[in-house]
Amino acid sequence: MPILKADAAACQGYASCVIAADDYFDIDDDGLVVLLSTEVPEADRERVDRAARACPAAALRLEGA
Amino acid sequence: MFDPSDVVDHVRNGMLPAHIYNDSEIFAAERDAIFSRSWVFLAHESEIPQVGDYVVRRVMENSFIVSRAGDGAVHAMFNMCLHRGMQVCRAEQGNASHFRCPYHGWSYRNDGRIVGLPFHREAYGGETGFSKRGQRLLPAPAMDTVNGMIFVSLDPEAPPLREFLGDFAFYLDYYTRQSPSGVEVLGPQRWRVKANWKIGAENFAGDMYHTPQTHASVVEIGLFREPKAEKRKDGATYWATSGGGTTYKLPPGTLEERLRYVGYPDEMVERMKGAWSAEQLDLIGRDGFMVSAASVFPNLSLVHNWPKVADSDDVLPFVSLRQWQPISENETEVLSWFLVDKEAPEEFKALSYKAYLMCFGSSGMFEQDDVENWVSLTATAAGTMARRLLLNGRMGMLPDGSTIAPALGGDEWAGPGESRIGYGEYNQRHLMNRWADLIEAGPARTAAVTVGTPGEDAAR
Repeated sequence: MPILKADAAACQGYASCVIAADDYFDIDDDGLVVLLSTEVPEADRERVDRAARACPAAALRLEGA
Repeated sequence: MFDPSDVVDHVRNGMLPAHIYNDSEIFAAERDAIFSRSWVFLAHESEIPQVGDYVVRRVMENSFIVSRAGDGAVHAMFNMCLHRGMQVCRAEQGNASHFRCPYHGWSYRNDGRIVGLPFHREAYGGETGFSKRGQRLLPAPAMDTVNGMIFVSLDPEAPPLREFLGDFAFYLDYYTRQSPSGVEVLGPQRWRVKANWKIGAENFAGDMYHTPQTHASVVEIGLFREPKAEKRKDGATYWATSGGGTTYKLPPGTLEERLRYVGYPDEMVERMKGAWSAEQLDLIGRDGFMVSAASVFPNLSLVHNWPKVADSDDVLPFVSLRQWQPISENETEVLSWFLVDKEAPEEFKALSYKAYLMCFGSSGMFEQDDVENWVSLTATAAGTMARRLLLNGRMGMLPDGSTIAPALGGDEWAGPGESRIGYGEYNQRHLMNRWADLIEAGPARTAAVTVGTPGEDAAR
C-alpha cells in the first residue's frame, strides 16, 4: 500500500494539499501540515498523489505510488 | 454637498423630483444610507443544496460568497482576502471545499476559516506577528433566511429579518411556500438595463395602471384568455410592513375553483390547503383576490401570472423572483429566478417554466415592454430640465392627504396590512417614503474590523 510522507521542516503552510484532499491532510495551529492518515488505499492513490504533488514547497511524497 | 431635505420633503408629499432617477449624488446616498442598512436578498437555499455548493452574489459592490459548509450550514462571507483584498472566489457558482486567493495563496475553508497562510513563520513570525487562529473571511454583518430565501444586511444592528418583513411574510407564502416543502429555483438569468433600479421596484410594487397601456400588445396577441389588462382596476393593491403588491380579482367560485381557474392542478391545490393559514386561503376563496406582482423594500420583486401556454384556452401559472441590483444611477443588473413548488408534478414544472420565459426574463414579452419605458425615462432624467420637474406620484390621494378608495375592511380582505381596490400609487409612495426616511437618516455608522493583530491600541 502506498505510504504518505511529510517533511514538516519544508512545509510553508500553503494548504494546497488540504484543498486537494482534506481527508488526508490538515494544517495545525502552527501552520504546518498534519497527515490524517499515512496509508493510502489503492482507490485513493491517484487523488492523494495529485494532492502531494500540488505542494509548492515539495514537502509531500507518496511512496510506492 | 448633497442635502437630503431637497428631495425627501417632496417625496413624502408624493411628488418625485425627476432627477432622483438619474443622479450620481442620490446614488451615492442610496449606497450609504439604504443598501448599508436594509435586508437584501442574496440567494435561495435550493441553489446550494449540496455540501460545498456556493454562489457569489453582491450587495451593491460588496461581493459575498454564499456557501454550504461541511456541517450543512449556510455561510455568507465577504469575498475579500484578509491580506491584500483580492477576491478569493472569482467564479459565479460551483462546488468547493476551500477558496484560495490567487494573489498570495492564502486559503480559506468554505465556512470562511483561514487554512493556508504561506510562510507564516518566516514572513510574520508566526502567531506573534499575525494571529491566524480563529481568523475567517468577514461574515455578512447579519444573515437570516425565510422560506429558504437567504438575506443579508450590512448593518449588524439590523432588526431580525422576520421583524423587517413583518406582515409581508403572509403574502410571501403565496410565492414561496405553496407546499410544506417550499420552492426550488432555476436561474438566475442576469442582464443589465440602462435604467435606474428604483423604477422596477416601484413598478412591481403597485403599478396596475401601466398594464393596459404598456402591455396592450401582449393582450392583443392573445397571451391571456381574457382581456386581462382591462381588468386590472378590479384588483386590489396591498402594503404590509416592508412590502406590497398587486392582485387580480377572480371570477366567482370556491377556493378550489379559483385556484383551478389560474391553472393549478388539483394535487397542488390540496397541498396549498395544507400549507396556508385560514386567512391566506380566505383571501383567495372568500375574497376572490390572487396575488400578481410585488416588491419588498428596497430591491426585491416577485411576480405571479397565468398566461396561455399553448393554442388551447388553458392557462398555466408561474412564479418568479427578481432583484434590481444597482450598478450606477443609470444602470441596473436584473437577476431573475424561476420558482416552482418542489412537490409540483414534473409536467407542471416544465410548462410553468415555459410560461415564465414567455413573459419575463431576458426574452420575456412583458420585460421588453417595460424596459423600453424605463431606459427612456432614465436617460431623460439626467438633464437640467428634469431638475425642475416634480413628477406627480399622488394617484389615489386627494389634496388633504385622504385617499380616493377606502381601505378594505376585514370582511373584504383577509390579509394583513392596508389594501384598496383600483388604480393608485399607494404602494409606490410606501416604498419611496421608506426610501426618504433612510436617505434622510444618512450613512450608517460602522466600526472598522482589524485582522490578525490584537487591536489598534496595541499596534500603537
